[in-house]
Amino acid sequence: MKKIFFPFLIINALLFSSCTKVINIDLNSKDPQIVIEGNISDQPGPYTISITQSVNFSQSNSFPAVTGASVTVSDNLGNSEVLTEVSPGIYHTTTTQGVSGRTYYMTVVTNNKTYLAQSTIPTLVTLDTLILEPNNSIGPPFYIIPFFLDPVGSGNYYRCIETIDHVRVKGSFLYDDQFNDGLVNGQPILNFSDSLNPGDTVIVELQCVDKASYMYFFSLDQTISGQSGAPANPVSNISNSALGYFSAHTSRKKITVIP
Amino acid sequence: MKIFHHVFLFSLLLLSSQSAFSQTKYTVSGSIKDSKTGEMLIGAVVHIIETKNVGTASNEYGFYSITLPEGEYTLVVSMLGYKSITDKISLHQNIKKDLAMGDSSKALDEVVITDEAKDANVTDPQMGAQKLDMKEANKIPVLFGEKDILKTIQLLPGIKSGGDGGSGFFVRGGAADQNLILLDEAPVYNASHLLGFFSTFNSDAIKDVTVYKGNAPAQYGGRLSSVLDIKMNDGNNQKYHLSGGIGLISSKLNIEGPIVKDKGSFIISARRTYADVFLKLSQKETTRNSSLYFYDLNLKANYQVNEKNRIFISGYFGRDKLGLANAFGIDWGNATGTIRWNHFINERLFSNTSLIFSNYSYKISISGSTASFDITSKIRDYNLKHEYQFFINPKNNLRFGINCIYHTVTPGQVHASEGSAINPIKLQDRFGLENAVYASDQWNISDRLNITYGVRLSSFSPLGKGDFYSFNASGNVSDTTSYAAGKIVKTYFNIEPRISAGFIINESSSIKISYARNAQSLHLLSNSVSTSPTDLWVMSSAIVKPEIADQYALGYYHNFRDNSIEFSTEVYYKSMQNQIDFKNGANTQANELIEGELLFGVGRAYGVEFFVKKKYGKFTGWVGYTLSKSERKIDQINNGSWYPVKQDRTHDISVVAMYDLTPKWSLAATWVFNTGSAVTFPSGKYTVDGQVVFLYTERNGYRMPAYHRMDIGATWQRKKTDKFESSWNFSIYNVYAHENAYTISFREDPNDPTKTQAVQTSLFRLIPSISYNFRF
Repeated sequence: MKKIFFPFLIINALLFSSCTKVINIDLNSKDPQIVIEGNISDQPGPYTISITQSVNFSQSNSFPAVTGASVTVSDNLGNSEVLTEVSPGIYHTTTTQGVSGRTYYMTVVTNNKTYLAQSTIPTLVTLDTLILEPNNSIGPPFYIIPFFLDPVGSGNYYRCIETIDHVRVKGSFLYDDQFNDGLVNGQPILNFSDSLNPGDTVIVELQCVDKASYMYFFSLDQTISGQSGAPANPVSNISNSALGYFSAHTSRKKITVIP
Repeated sequence: MKIFHHVFLFSLLLLSSQSAFSQTKYTVSGSIKDSKTGEMLIGAVVHIIETKNVGTASNEYGFYSITLPEGEYTLVVSMLGYKSITDKISLHQNIKKDLAMGDSSKALDEVVITDEAKDANVTDPQMGAQKLDMKEANKIPVLFGEKDILKTIQLLPGIKSGGDGGSGFFVRGGAADQNLILLDEAPVYNASHLLGFFSTFNSDAIKDVTVYKGNAPAQYGGRLSSVLDIKMNDGNNQKYHLSGGIGLISSKLNIEGPIVKDKGSFIISARRTYADVFLKLSQKETTRNSSLYFYDLNLKANYQVNEKNRIFISGYFGRDKLGLANAFGIDWGNATGTIRWNHFINERLFSNTSLIFSNYSYKISISGSTASFDITSKIRDYNLKHEYQFFINPKNNLRFGINCIYHTVTPGQVHASEGSAINPIKLQDRFGLENAVYASDQWNISDRLNITYGVRLSSFSPLGKGDFYSFNASGNVSDTTSYAAGKIVKTYFNIEPRISAGFIINESSSIKISYARNAQSLHLLSNSVSTSPTDLWVMSSAIVKPEIADQYALGYYHNFRDNSIEFSTEVYYKSMQNQIDFKNGANTQANELIEGELLFGVGRAYGVEFFVKKKYGKFTGWVGYTLSKSERKIDQINNGSWYPVKQDRTHDISVVAMYDLTPKWSLAATWVFNTGSAVTFPSGKYTVDGQVVFLYTERNGYRMPAYHRMDIGATWQRKKTDKFESSWNFSIYNVYAHENAYTISFREDPNDPTKTQAVQTSLFRLIPSISYNFRF
């Protein structure tokens, strides 16, 4: 739904010969900020929590790992474990198993600061099949539609991750049931940057996420697209102004080969 | 009683032999019109030579009235662009005197300098008001040669442009939705065509444009920053005329003529762009199947029923259509209609009643194989105005009236076809009642001191039917209350005093001071970089309070060289309450709970404006400069400190020059410069979900590069007779092809994926255009 306004940009491009050039802007530097990314799913672990730091805009894209942090994951039934740092900034679980309906808590302590987050795995909605839909209009020659049945009652949030020939497509494709509560999803994965060729293997993962995680990815999309009038950092569900997210979700995958 | 009355008069006579009360008074009144077309003239100055400080101006319907003691007088009527009229009158009874003024365009520089209208900027107590001379506006070069009054007013100090591709304008630091744009009294909610590249006003259909920069008199209300009052032509009531223009991307046609000669006339103006014709030439099929155009239609008719009654009907209808290969379509537009009844109750009392309709709507259509649907949205007003103008005496001119508006906002409806993968959805319609009573008096206290003072009492009530929500701190619904149809949810009252005083220091200079409060109950929520047709109008409710602005201004005016050069400077300070902004990551689309996505705070704007204008001679033009600041403070943004609003521009310069080379050739050039608008840029970057994400630290902490541009134009008058007139217009937009930044975005460096770079997009470099205009 949120992508329907992209044609404005196309119209602009059609009508007016706009021109672009690379410019130099003196951007302020900023003290490094902590970035935490944590996922728990209903598939077998181990699950990963990674911790990095931000860098200044002019620096190259290598983001320092935060090592030696104390990372704990627990759930609402009292299970708890301390994660192991398997490589710099990458922390793994060993015993935790994600289950639908349970709430998970993450605690990260580093540099005398504590960061907290919680997330609940929603009820499972399975991904039934992937459908190839020819497109007679602008855009790629066909789309992939993930078919799944939204349960009646609003408040379901979905996140799809697409992999084409083992390459993860950047970003995620989000669905909610604001306009199609209780219906079969018919909205395609609107991927305009990668074209599908015969023989390509496409894997789509459907995650059922809670509202806070959805909000994070929704606002992350706004931040990345730069279309907002007042760009801002995504709305994180982690305390103490940490960047990043902690998402507990279901996960189901389907695979298809482009004929 | 009668004896008592005489005794009273006699004693007054004894007290003051010069008292005006001692004499019998009579009124001279009538209407002032253009001798050639019969168009009523607005703001023609009527002056009495024998009495100093006695004068009036014709009102918006061309009516004037002056009451004087019995005697012999010389009436002088003057107006810019017309030959002055001098007329002797013997005032021994009330007399009706209709006046017709002749065009003086060929001899503008020969007009006698005693002309009173020429120093109106010094003597008129009204501050922050600017009247646009349509003849002048037509000479100024613009994009694609399409004359545009909205672009022209942006060349005045204190009025800033939204940049390339934006019809939205900002007055004294206010947002675009804080401008009240009236077309024959009907509010126009979206004044732009083609995503803002053109305005909805076809300048061929327009007679008079006045802009008030926040100090509007009490008859106007409902917006914080400005009033742009546009009046359509009435149509020629003498002869039929056909005129038109053919341009590169649009053409227009204008028909006017008498319904009954001297009694009534009509005018129809139509315009359509044909940029989509060029799309058909494209190689790509999707481009060929796309549509892109707008059209608009202005209609007006008036009829003088009898000496005392006159009726006007005017309408506007315009629509934009944009379609991409049957996959996506959007169309939007305004429709307005006004019925007015002028009634001359007596020589001194004039009334007008207007019934006004205004509608703005848009529709987005999406078709795909599994999900085809439409989204529609609209705002609709029914509006009643009833006003009296009472010309009490030569020193006082009182205006009072009422105004009631019933608003309906349909925020969004999703229509889906049978079997579509989309559920139809309908957000609740919102209803509101806006009422106002006002009174305003223009009082010439002495030769030197004039004041216009008044008050507007306004109220706004959101009405049922509907569910109204309360939100907790995290923006979730904490309570829902349902109201029945027509039930008042809440009523806000605002007392809006307005005062503007002018003190004339000497013949050529004056000081003015003013204060005005304005309240606004309709708010435009815009989440994108520039205004878009799908921006949402919301009404005040229990959560969204009316915005309030208090503006204080002080000005100094000086005319040089027998009023041929006008200089003015104004300083202003404006404080604003209940300003609105979005939360970070707000969901603005078809969101029933949009009020939970809003943040509220205060604003302030201040600045100084300078304006120098040469009005007569072969060479005319002006220079305007504004130094200003506009800021906002919202607890949840930038840690509650003051931050610049998007439209904050520190420096703003505009230069307009026009030169009559020969009687046939005239040249014009404009140059504008302004500080770039405030923007949010990243101050760092990090990685999440396998992507590089930019880190933002403060809202509007950076500036776009400064904007500057020069346009030139030439008009070649071919033939000019009473029977046929034609001219060619040539113009070049952005003549030195400066690449002004439209957007700046940040991306991965294509040559080095480990680096990030800033990319500037510009819209227009040099754009030449040519158009042909005719009239017969």
